[in-house]
Amino acid sequence: MREPAWRIFAAEYNNSEHVVEGKGEKAPKYVITPLGAKVNRLFIVGVLTDVEEIGVEGIRRRARISDPTGIHVVYAEIFKPEVASILADMEVPTYIAIMGKVRIYQPEEGVLYLSARAEMAKEVNEELRNYWILEACRNMALRIDAMREAMNMENPTAKKLKESGYPAMIAEGVAEAVKFYKDVDLGHYELLMREALSFITSKKEIKKDFGEEEEKILRIIEENQGEDGALWDVVIEEGKKQGIEKEIAEEVIASLMEKGMIYEPQLGKLKLV
Amino acid sequence: MEEIEEIIEEILEQIDANRSDVEKDLKKFIDYGVPLEHAKEAILHKYGVILKERKLINIKPNERGICTVAKVIAIDEREVEVRGSKRKIYRGLLGDETAVLPFTAWKDFHIGKGDVIKIRNASSSEWEGQPRLSLSEWSEVEKVDHDIDLVKRPPQRYNLIDLRAGLSNVEVRGRIVEVEQREVNIAEETKKVFSGIMEDETARIRFTAWKDFELASGDVIKIKGAYVRSWRGAPQLIFDENSEVEKIEEEIRYEQKVVPLYKVVEAGGGIDLCIEGVVLEIRKDSGIIFRCPKCNRRIREGICEEDGNVEGIPDLRIKALVDDGTGAVDVILNRELSEKILGKSMDDYLAVAKEAMDYGVVYEEIVNKLIAHPLRIVGDSIQSGLIVTIFAKDVELLAIDAEKDAEELLMHMGG
Repeated sequence: MREPAWRIFAAEYNNSEHVVEGKGEKAPKYVITPLGAKVNRLFIVGVLTDVEEIGVEGIRRRARISDPTGIHVVYAEIFKPEVASILADMEVPTYIAIMGKVRIYQPEEGVLYLSARAEMAKEVNEELRNYWILEACRNMALRIDAMREAMNMENPTAKKLKESGYPAMIAEGVAEAVKFYKDVDLGHYELLMREALSFITSKKEIKKDFGEEEEKILRIIEENQGEDGALWDVVIEEGKKQGIEKEIAEEVIASLMEKGMIYEPQLGKLKLV
Repeated sequence: MEEIEEIIEEILEQIDANRSDVEKDLKKFIDYGVPLEHAKEAILHKYGVILKERKLINIKPNERGICTVAKVIAIDEREVEVRGSKRKIYRGLLGDETAVLPFTAWKDFHIGKGDVIKIRNASSSEWEGQPRLSLSEWSEVEKVDHDIDLVKRPPQRYNLIDLRAGLSNVEVRGRIVEVEQREVNIAEETKKVFSGIMEDETARIRFTAWKDFELASGDVIKIKGAYVRSWRGAPQLIFDENSEVEKIEEEIRYEQKVVPLYKVVEAGGGIDLCIEGVVLEIRKDSGIIFRCPKCNRRIREGICEEDGNVEGIPDLRIKALVDDGTGAVDVILNRELSEKILGKSMDDYLAVAKEAMDYGVVYEEIVNKLIAHPLRIVGDSIQSGLIVTIFAKDVELLAIDAEKDAEELLMHMGG
């Protein structure tokens, strides 16, 4: 059977501490993640942030790919020169898709370095990156459910999980993960997933440059602040008159506060720093 | 001591022997420090010649020295590769008054559907949580004269999407999409068989009926006591004189829904499948290829394996590995669908290739256009090797609305 390519966030993959071996000759190795993904092949889409040459042959490359949760480390080895050359030619930052196998380095008992060995690399666009985040979240949500069910079971087995309707591979991975990791903080991963999703839903606004709106809002606050600060509602109202929608005005106010340019001397009032 | 009692009971269940003899043997082994399980096996082995006939219901996975009498409900031949060499094995179903079990025969015992056979020294393994009988080089099989009334246990209900080769005594309901009659020769006897396609809300499946149930397309039926075999890798529903078929008044229509790829891989294929996945690899034999004008086979460098030197006819096709994170299949797009998904005609590509003096540029463009892109495909699986291959009937680039989907997923998580 061809191993499916898991869509998996860096934070979950890099937190893995468990490796199992399949059956038979040429048995593949699987990384068991804390949420029970049983990964041999993986598919990663993210932002290429760094490519470095490694080794003396001038061919191998090590790349870093950022997703909303962390950094995937990816190697292009000497037997995949076409992949290495694609990486070498890519500018950073670029949206990139990688398909590869798990790369497991275990220098001593209890120490595990996980990365990926790329078999395919391709530049992609933002739309495909967002689609990947969605796929990764959907799979993660299913495994969080399976983990919760398994952790509530008397004696969780892959068979019981399969009977609950989970795909065989997830059932096997989750049964193994529960045995090894015992109590997994599912809330942590749920939060991570929520953050990854809001990366898609709110990104539009973050990316937009609100320079003009910021200046307008700053001027409005200056004109209305007096001694105690400008009333929040007044600022919004004035903004609207100058063509700034309420949602955007609130976004701009939050961002100005974050930048330390304005502050709230008391609740509901705004003042320049 | 309770454990020893249990072992003795287990041994007596399998052999005809005097209780005190077994006790004495067992005690001897225990005195010598032989572990209980081994001691049990050794005693069973010793009494091997007088194995007790067992009913199928009592057989558990991973047993040896099984002796039973059962009826062959279905059997077919297939070729498998064992350590590099091809050999024929036989797979099917055996039944008695108590159960129906799948079996594999590793050599030709010259048995056919309907035969009642006495089996000695078979073993069992586990398959899908139930025992599967294995008849090996060391098993003895002999035909017997008397008939067996097959088990009448309540059949298990399935949706068509969940049917897997090897299941037996299933109950399904569905609508006959099409059916045709043909005649086959089995052991010098001409038999009418009726085959076609049926559907329920979850899937379409090929079927074969070994008896005339007077089926017509559009009929909605309930079948009890059918079984499932593998045909060209995909599940096929089979029913015969041991099955009950009843026409029912129900409105059933297949609602084409996206099937996760792990299900497609588990089933080994299917028909009218709708799948979604990301293209992760374009197989090397994609792009512009040339076919023989006589036999339509693919030719290389102007030479057809069948017809020698020929003037090849160009064709465009794509073979793509599609993966949804749960499973992976190969998808074949013919010329029409390749043109649709690439947005260019084969003639455009022939011109581009002529310009570049290299057909490889077409492959490169397919890679650039499709890799990492999600597709939706409708198609039928075809006979294939290690990976399920789907011959596409339609294909489209998946429209992505990540923001909407992300919001939905967030809502689903509860805010």
